[in-house]
Amino acid sequence: MSRKLAVVTLTLLILVGAMGLKTMVTAHGDGSVIMANGAAPAPPTPYRNGAAPAPPTPYRNGAAPAPPTPY
Amino acid sequence: MPGPFAYFVWFVGLLCEAAVVVCALKKHAFRRYLLLNLYMTTAVVSELGRFKILAEYGFSSRQYQYFYYYSDAILTIFLYFALSTLYAHVFSEMNAERYVKMGTLLLLTGTALFTYAVVEQSTAKLVTHFVVELSQNLYFVGLVLTYVLWAAILKLRETRTRLIQLVLSLGVYFSLFAANYAIRNLYPPLSSVFVPLVQVFGLFLPLAWAYAFWRLPEDARLVPARLAVIPR
Repeated sequence: MSRKLAVVTLTLLILVGAMGLKTMVTAHGDGSVIMANGAAPAPPTPYRNGAAPAPPTPYRNGAAPAPPTPY
Repeated sequence: MPGPFAYFVWFVGLLCEAAVVVCALKKHAFRRYLLLNLYMTTAVVSELGRFKILAEYGFSSRQYQYFYYYSDAILTIFLYFALSTLYAHVFSEMNAERYVKMGTLLLLTGTALFTYAVVEQSTAKLVTHFVVELSQNLYFVGLVLTYVLWAAILKLRETRTRLIQLVLSLGVYFSLFAANYAIRNLYPPLSSVFVPLVQVFGLFLPLAWAYAFWRLPEDARLVPARLAVIPR
């Protein structure tokens, strides 16, 4: 039983570590694919429509820097 | 549209992948490392399929995009299982095969659930988004697993040269992609150099594995002192 629990714990640790590493690496990434199997040229991901830069969110009026909160 | 260099690298990659399977068959290692060889066989088939679709529909076509990313996800899952068999080889003397299988399935399920939790807010193309993200997440899981396996090899004083070569080359392969991605994002102007390198890095794993099967016999052993320095 303890060996099974050890496997579960190790699995969860690896999962947390891997996802933490991914978040760290891709935090400032350009959204492109990191790894690809084989040597075929990689196309853009199908769920990104076009390569145009993302516009600012529509609910921000103007490009002025945001001031600190008044409180 | 890919240039002549991209086509050349692609063709060399295809040859290297086929060479792994041929070398394994020639050295009677195909069944011993069955999933590694199945991964390479699937890679050859998917490369041929990619080439056919690219020639028929073009690089920017939806057909090529979908085929590329769906086949990539299948390949990553194969690679993940291939890595789990390397675990089984390393821990074979401890009779831990059952636990390795259990951990492998548990980790795959966990990664799939995590990926679904992340992409479920994506309203459009949920399945495609899930497939691409799962592939990338499994890549990071594979990266961590390879380093954990390398630590286990050092700890257990594993001496089988071919097994060590297979594990180390996998570690270098994963690390090359991670380093390339990090440099690309640190220095965006250098993207034109580092993006094509992704394709070149794809050659490393089949080359290293073909070498391992061709040049290193199964009974070759390394001196443990060459793997780790033991303090006296």
